[in-house]
Amino acid sequence: MSTNTQAISVNDLHKHFGRSMALAGLNLQVEAGQVAGFLGPNGSGKSTTIRILLGLLRADSGNVKMLGGDPWNDAVALHRRIAYVPGEVALWPNLTGGQAIGILSSLRGGVDTAKRDSLLERFNLDPTKKARSYSKGNRQKVALVAALASDAELLLLDEPTSGLDPLMEQVFTACIREAKEQGRSVLLSSHIFAEVEKLCDTVTIIREGVTVEAGRLDDLRHLHRTTITVLLASNASALGTVPGINDLVLDGPKATFTVGAEDLGEVLEALSRYSPRSLVSAPPSLEDLFLRHYGGLPLESAATTSGRHAHAHAGGAR
Amino acid sequence: MSSETALGTVRGSSASTDSLTGVGMVMRFILRRNWLRLLIWAAVLAVMIPIVYGSQQEAFPTQAARDAYAQVANTPAVAAMTGLPYAAGSLGGILVIKIWMTLAVALGFASIFLVTRNGRADEETGRTELLRSAALGRYAYSVANYLVAGSLSVITGLLVSLLCLTLKLPTGGSWIMGASIAGTGLAFVAISAICGQLATTSRGANSLAVALLALFYFIRAGADLQAIGTDPSALSWFSPIGWAQNMRSFGQDNWWPLLALLGLAVFGCALALRLETRRDLGAGILPERGGPATASALLANPLGLVLRLQRGSLLGWLLGSLVAGLFFGSVARAMTAVLDPENPFAKSFVGTGHNLLDGVMGIFVLFNGLLAGAFAVQALAAARSEEESGRLESQLAGSLSRVSWLFSHVLVAGLGSAVMLLLSGYLTGVSSQGAATGGAMAADSLAYWPAVLLMLGVMLFGQGYFPRHSTGIAWAVYGFSVMTAMFGGLLSLSTDVIKATPFGAIPRLPAEDFAPLPLIVLSLIALVLAALGFRRFRARDLMPE
Repeated sequence: MSTNTQAISVNDLHKHFGRSMALAGLNLQVEAGQVAGFLGPNGSGKSTTIRILLGLLRADSGNVKMLGGDPWNDAVALHRRIAYVPGEVALWPNLTGGQAIGILSSLRGGVDTAKRDSLLERFNLDPTKKARSYSKGNRQKVALVAALASDAELLLLDEPTSGLDPLMEQVFTACIREAKEQGRSVLLSSHIFAEVEKLCDTVTIIREGVTVEAGRLDDLRHLHRTTITVLLASNASALGTVPGINDLVLDGPKATFTVGAEDLGEVLEALSRYSPRSLVSAPPSLEDLFLRHYGGLPLESAATTSGRHAHAHAGGAR
Repeated sequence: MSSETALGTVRGSSASTDSLTGVGMVMRFILRRNWLRLLIWAAVLAVMIPIVYGSQQEAFPTQAARDAYAQVANTPAVAAMTGLPYAAGSLGGILVIKIWMTLAVALGFASIFLVTRNGRADEETGRTELLRSAALGRYAYSVANYLVAGSLSVITGLLVSLLCLTLKLPTGGSWIMGASIAGTGLAFVAISAICGQLATTSRGANSLAVALLALFYFIRAGADLQAIGTDPSALSWFSPIGWAQNMRSFGQDNWWPLLALLGLAVFGCALALRLETRRDLGAGILPERGGPATASALLANPLGLVLRLQRGSLLGWLLGSLVAGLFFGSVARAMTAVLDPENPFAKSFVGTGHNLLDGVMGIFVLFNGLLAGAFAVQALAAARSEEESGRLESQLAGSLSRVSWLFSHVLVAGLGSAVMLLLSGYLTGVSSQGAATGGAMAADSLAYWPAVLLMLGVMLFGQGYFPRHSTGIAWAVYGFSVMTAMFGGLLSLSTDVIKATPFGAIPRLPAEDFAPLPLIVLSLIALVLAALGFRRFRARDLMPE
């Protein structure tokens, strides 16, 4: 992978504030023209990473490249080619939303007025209102319109839909798809799994400042197990002996379990011997992926959790 | 039927007490956030009594000296600035002339800032919403706010009275002195309470209330200029400050105008509560206007944006220096007539200059310098608040470098203060000695620019190294410089000490001879501080709140 196909390349990034470690060896790759999801719980370092990419914070160590440049030293030049939407948009209370859009756009080298006007209409935003009278969602729209109206090569979006209603989220989804069609790259930090699943080509999941999972969304799904619920003619306890079945939960003739992709054929063959009446299979969702990495456990015990999975997988793809 | 009615009555009657549920809890909450602020206001205001009393005892040691002063005390300048000198022949009366107006107006300002800080400002940030969603009566928050702000007036008034009594001043006059000052404070609690209902922002509420305070001050100044002898003019009853003045401590000692002040306080707070129930949380009574849908070419430029953001404050400060220049000039001559050059108080205040008029002009030019310094600190504090609020982040995420952003703010603060100095200096000169002196006085005034630049240097150094405390530290340095430059003589500080402080170091033109060295040294220190601040600001993390 050469740098010119990469919009963002972060390797082994460290950053601390006082005594607390915010980032402890974070990796993040965003390829040009792709939409990359950036997931992690509150305080895991998503915003810190984005602020380092913007040259607002200085990295302690690590290798960070954005659009082939150094985010700290080349900040001003790089910022002509990017657009940023923060999760908490602060505006000048006594200026209107339209004025704020103008100010932010002029700092990115001008505004495409036709595009701006069509975005204002799509997001249903009144630009003549003073910013102090805007709700959180409306402030968010101001930043989104300013960012999307620019012709930036790279969009850095830090939880951009917080405060938007579902209708506006749809508009946002459509706008990001259009941006992708135009060949732009997007880094989308989000809490909304459905949004990431809909939009993103790749996903990076971080936790306590470390990348714990990264790759193409399809590949990641493959690595994880499908959940199957079956209703058998007789008591389902016999399934306990079938190799490849994990996390088995029994309820009379009903059984719920997970199975790795590599064992799926054998398990289905075994199942057919118990004459199943109904079978529901659910692919691993992003939420499953995400929760597998968190589940409220601190990092050390998470290591043992994944160890258990590895054991259950014995000889699997992992 | 009857039981239903009874239930209805019970509900109805409990509703009125319910609306005050939690007042005590909120008062404790407000006190916890403001106790230091309250303590400082009360202590600083009250301690002026013994300090000024001491200096006046020294200035007018004998009854003969006081009688002589009483003969010449009633001049338009004194009447306009501090009120009618109705008892200039007694130490109590002289104390009233020298400090009463300062204390009353300062307490008015303190009340306004407190009520807004815990009222409209909290509502703006959404803290009130959170508290109101708890089991809290509808009026509890505002009533607690008014009570805490009112208690500052009462406590300050009590301290003033007790200190007067300790100084062995007449008992009746001592109590009236404290009560009239407290009454002014309480009146402004009510006025700012109403302003907090009318405006939508804390800035708007403060501006409206301060404008009213200025209006009432000028009404009473007009009344006292109109007065015949030392009898108040009827116009003075159109200003609450006038009501308090008409209590005449150490003179007639009238209690009854206090009733009017208390009436205004109670009625005003009740009106504010009534207005509060008529509006939505976060909204104001005055309508919010729309604005342009797009940014003008001015806003697209970083410097233009700073000018636009500072527009209101710039105009306000320029207007302030215009009024100050005219006022200082016109009272300078009158003051010269009043002061006896051999009087030790006059000496400590104007210094030993060429002549008394130049000495008085020297003070007023210093005032111009101090005003410009306050503007400069406030203008750069606005830069810090851009960073604090997170708005700077969005700007720097665009193609704006940190240096050009900060430099735009420095340019507005630096050039704005220079314009203020020239304007107020020119007008001081013109209104005191005619058009010919305007230019010279503008130049004298501009001599304070290096001291103003030093304030900017301190602020920039803070912006680089300790941004979260930069504003507080800059104001503390400024406050210290004001105290030493203005009251250094009164506080018996040595000349060397005064000369080592920013505004004290500048030769007091036109009373003293011009010397370039202090200006060069101050400019160099300012430059070094600014350079260090800029360098650090370029290298550090952005620090929003």
